[in-house]
Amino acid sequence: MTARAAIGLAALLALLIAAPALLGGYGLSVLILVLYFAYVGQAWNIMMGFAGQLSLGHALYAGLGGYIAAGLYFHYGIGPWLGIFAAVAVAVAAGSIVGYLGFRFSLAGVYFALLTIAFAEFTRIGFDNWEWTGGSGGLFLKVERGVVDLANLRGGPVMFYYVILALAVGALVLCRLLLESRLGRYWLAIREDAEAAQAVGVPVLWCKMLAIMISAALTAVAGVWNAFYYNNLFPETAFAMGRSIEMTLAPIIGGLGTLFGPFVGAVVLTGLGEIFTAAGDRLDIPGIKQIFYGVALLLIVMYRPAGVWPWLAARLGFAERKP
Amino acid sequence: MTSKINFTRRGLGRVAAGAALIGAPLPLRFASAQSAPANLKVGLILPMSGAQALIGQMCKHGADIANDIFVDIKLPVKLEIVTYDTETKPDVARTQAEKAVEAGCHVLVGAFDSGQTIAVAQVAEQKGVPLVVNIAAAPPLTESGYKFIVRNFPTAPMLLASAFDLQKQIFAASGVTPKSAVLLSINDTFGNAMVNGIKAMFPKAGMPYEILDIITYDAGAKDLSVEVGKAKASKAEMLMPICRLNDAKLMVQEMVKQRWEPMTINPGTPGMYEQDFIKSMGKYAEYTLSIQPWLNPKAAMTKILEKHHKAKFPGAQIDIDAGFTFEAMLIAAHAWLDAKSTKPDALMASLRKTHIDDHVMVGGPIEFDAKGQNNNIKGTALQVLKRNIAVVLPKDAAEADLVFPQPGWTDKRRT
Repeated sequence: MTARAAIGLAALLALLIAAPALLGGYGLSVLILVLYFAYVGQAWNIMMGFAGQLSLGHALYAGLGGYIAAGLYFHYGIGPWLGIFAAVAVAVAAGSIVGYLGFRFSLAGVYFALLTIAFAEFTRIGFDNWEWTGGSGGLFLKVERGVVDLANLRGGPVMFYYVILALAVGALVLCRLLLESRLGRYWLAIREDAEAAQAVGVPVLWCKMLAIMISAALTAVAGVWNAFYYNNLFPETAFAMGRSIEMTLAPIIGGLGTLFGPFVGAVVLTGLGEIFTAAGDRLDIPGIKQIFYGVALLLIVMYRPAGVWPWLAARLGFAERKP
Repeated sequence: MTSKINFTRRGLGRVAAGAALIGAPLPLRFASAQSAPANLKVGLILPMSGAQALIGQMCKHGADIANDIFVDIKLPVKLEIVTYDTETKPDVARTQAEKAVEAGCHVLVGAFDSGQTIAVAQVAEQKGVPLVVNIAAAPPLTESGYKFIVRNFPTAPMLLASAFDLQKQIFAASGVTPKSAVLLSINDTFGNAMVNGIKAMFPKAGMPYEILDIITYDAGAKDLSVEVGKAKASKAEMLMPICRLNDAKLMVQEMVKQRWEPMTINPGTPGMYEQDFIKSMGKYAEYTLSIQPWLNPKAAMTKILEKHHKAKFPGAQIDIDAGFTFEAMLIAAHAWLDAKSTKPDALMASLRKTHIDDHVMVGGPIEFDAKGQNNNIKGTALQVLKRNIAVVLPKDAAEADLVFPQPGWTDKRRT
């Protein structure tokens, strides 16, 4: 990292730490969304951006994480910081099953993507009929006004903001360390040519399994945060295909396989979303946001196919090492 | 002595001006209320795009005509209603609620769907801004100890209890009681919730029939021949369809094809009272019976609502979405009238003691219990008669006579 990039990063972090004092409730809620999508995008990026495995069912891990931690808190009063271990364990187990079935039997590309969708779908149907999680009627956590209880993740937006900021920064650091590690280099080799990597002795199956397990674990943590922030979970939304697609957008738009791509993508997407929402409200034409949004994404993909961040980094002199 | 009155133009003008001055205060007062700045800013948070866009837009119709109706009913309040689109997503609902509060909305109204409403409720609770729930049936909304919420919509158990009660009324009024029933249900979140609710409440409801089978079908089904065939084979005397619009059409088409003519009562789901169903199914939509909360056709305010709705949205059907959303606006307006303030605590205190006798939906006065729930909303039995929806029960709201059991598919009464 260049000195210039380090200074820029430190300034950005300082700004983010000070953000609750500078922004109102609406601005903060938008920033929370940015950080959430940056974080889950980072988790998904490990699978697709680093290891080259397309998952379109990542809502499975977020949903499982959220439901397990929220269910333990709701039924037994077990706080989320303990529940998170169970949540991560269940998500990693689910990821291992998906991964083993896919990688062991050489399902690749769209076939592996279909497998991930299928798992998310039948988990949704299962949760629709599981009374412990409230079934299709949903699971609701109690909201308490004026409480700030970090131990039980009960509190207002400012507390949740700092938690998701810490998670996002933590995921960035973790991904940086992973990329620098031997495992990270193996992933990149597999992404570029799995057969060649296998030929030179890279344990392909094991590396892919680690990618999906780490990605599932990180996504499950996001699910826990999400469940306690929104205080309600419905199978129809928690495991929805749309939710999985949302997780992929930030890294794709920002720059697949880059460290800052998910952050930049989340800023661009959420920012555009809010601008187009405001335009739609002003014009009083329902749904116009989606049209603008679609056109904007199309233009970005057409003119910046490698993502916004590599182009932006080159302009700012922050060029990230190309993985 | 005789007196002579000269009717000059000037004199007549003076008399007219005097009469106007004396007689006009009320209309002038209401007119000035409408031309004056708004008394209360309401953030209407609805799914205006996404999967629930159509419903959200129908809800908005009720809000769009609220101020016009207030003029007609001489309610001296003007609302500034700002709409916020949730895109049918809870996370967007939350940011939109934050935006509404920052924009200075004194009251929030919304949000049709329980997940989105809970997301809005959290913002309302944290910011201390009152939320009037127009439509959302999940019980936790008023069971979670929220202090800034009132809900003018029945909970899911209330809807089902009302469905069972009205079925008994239908059997009593017609003198025909089925001994057996079959449920034919869409297999989605809503369908599952209904089926589970019926399973839970049926044993205690004291119904005169037994449920022989529960048959479910996929939400994307394009053909229901097998399911309808299976339901027919159960030899149940009554069908309870749990459906949405498109599958309701498929179901009736298949029943006609298979010449299956059971008594049919929709226990509280959409589809069979919707305009599109009536238009496309023609004579086969006739006599369809659904149980729903509905507009009270005998209430004076409903007639005013219908008049304005017809004028502003010609060709659009008015239903519970517009009805309950209008009532949410009415509740907010009454709260402001009582509080004479836009301060959240004062408005909330007024909302808690709401008592509105004259409103549009069937049921008793609008009032809220300690948890913020209106328990006075009643279900109605709706029947399609001559291509229109008519309330046939309860009797005090009925505008037409019940026809039950429904005539066969080839009966001459179907035209």
